[in-house]
Amino acid sequence: MPERRTPSRLGGQDRNGDDTPPDVRFIRVPSIAERKLGREYVAPMRLDPRVLDQMQETIRGLETKYAEALKSQVSMLQILVEPACKGDTEARGRLYSLAHDMRGLAGTFGHPMVGRFADSLCGYLENCESEDWKDGTVIVFHVDAIRDAIENPKTDAAVTMETLDALERLIEASRRDRRKRG
Amino acid sequence: MSHSVFEKLTVLVVDDSAYMRHLLMTLLQALGVPRVFLAVDGEEAWELLNTCRPDIVLTDAAMVPGDGFMFAKRLRSLRGHALGLVPIIMVSGHTDLASVERARDIGVTEFLSKPISARSLYERLIQVLDRPRQFVETPTYRGPDRRRRNAPFAGEDRRGGVALI
Repeated sequence: MPERRTPSRLGGQDRNGDDTPPDVRFIRVPSIAERKLGREYVAPMRLDPRVLDQMQETIRGLETKYAEALKSQVSMLQILVEPACKGDTEARGRLYSLAHDMRGLAGTFGHPMVGRFADSLCGYLENCESEDWKDGTVIVFHVDAIRDAIENPKTDAAVTMETLDALERLIEASRRDRRKRG
Repeated sequence: MSHSVFEKLTVLVVDDSAYMRHLLMTLLQALGVPRVFLAVDGEEAWELLNTCRPDIVLTDAAMVPGDGFMFAKRLRSLRGHALGLVPIIMVSGHTDLASVERARDIGVTEFLSKPISARSLYERLIQVLDRPRQFVETPTYRGPDRRRRNAPFAGEDRRGGVALI
């Protein structure tokens, strides 16, 4: 039920330098659990380890299928690099979309480094200019790193982190070049 | 026989990634949620809204044509309508401060960063199901109370002065 309260400046803004505070209304939102369960509701709701196990089991069940999909996505990335760097805007869009998918999903399915490399690639592409695409070095190195992380999942974590650092240095160098170009 | 609240929920999942939609739907089903509606972007979600009348919305941020921010904003603009109060969990890979603050300022209830884990999703769901924050409506903001902590601060305590009528 809505509760009417006296006006305040809770909105965080003193509008137009006017001292009149904006109208503020508070609405008490009932607990969905309480509303749905009625008498069966027991507060507070807690995380049930059995349910959590079931969810984790569900993720494990999807891992094999995702691993196969990931391999074909990486193959597609490799195919897309060349046309994307040559100016094919559709290829650029698809390349980003694949990397974005990997950023969001690979970590969940036990490929955290693939996710990190994809995240780095997405961050780079989000600020990428035409000249960066044409050069293509940073993109190619990221795609290689993603492929390598999938093909050799047991690579020493220190080596993988070093690769990630190297990619970040490469991105920084590319930004410096861009600034020099003006 | 006691029921789980999840068995009584309707959830709307909005994500442009087919894998992500599938993952979220499967995890929700593992929790016991019987009705999961899927939409590929904010526009489709908006069209589905009245049909599915969700208890919770899980939405991605970056989608084309209608992104998650725009969708959340439209949802929060439904004044005088129960759907305008629906908890929104934004599930996004864009975890920079600007995106998180933008989500908060348009009334998103919880932010869940990708890659997700079973535990992080489960915890966020419990949070919105059982520990709702009061809603605040001002001319410039409509959404859950953004102040989560009772931390001391320098300056006038404007909230303390607010009285119930």
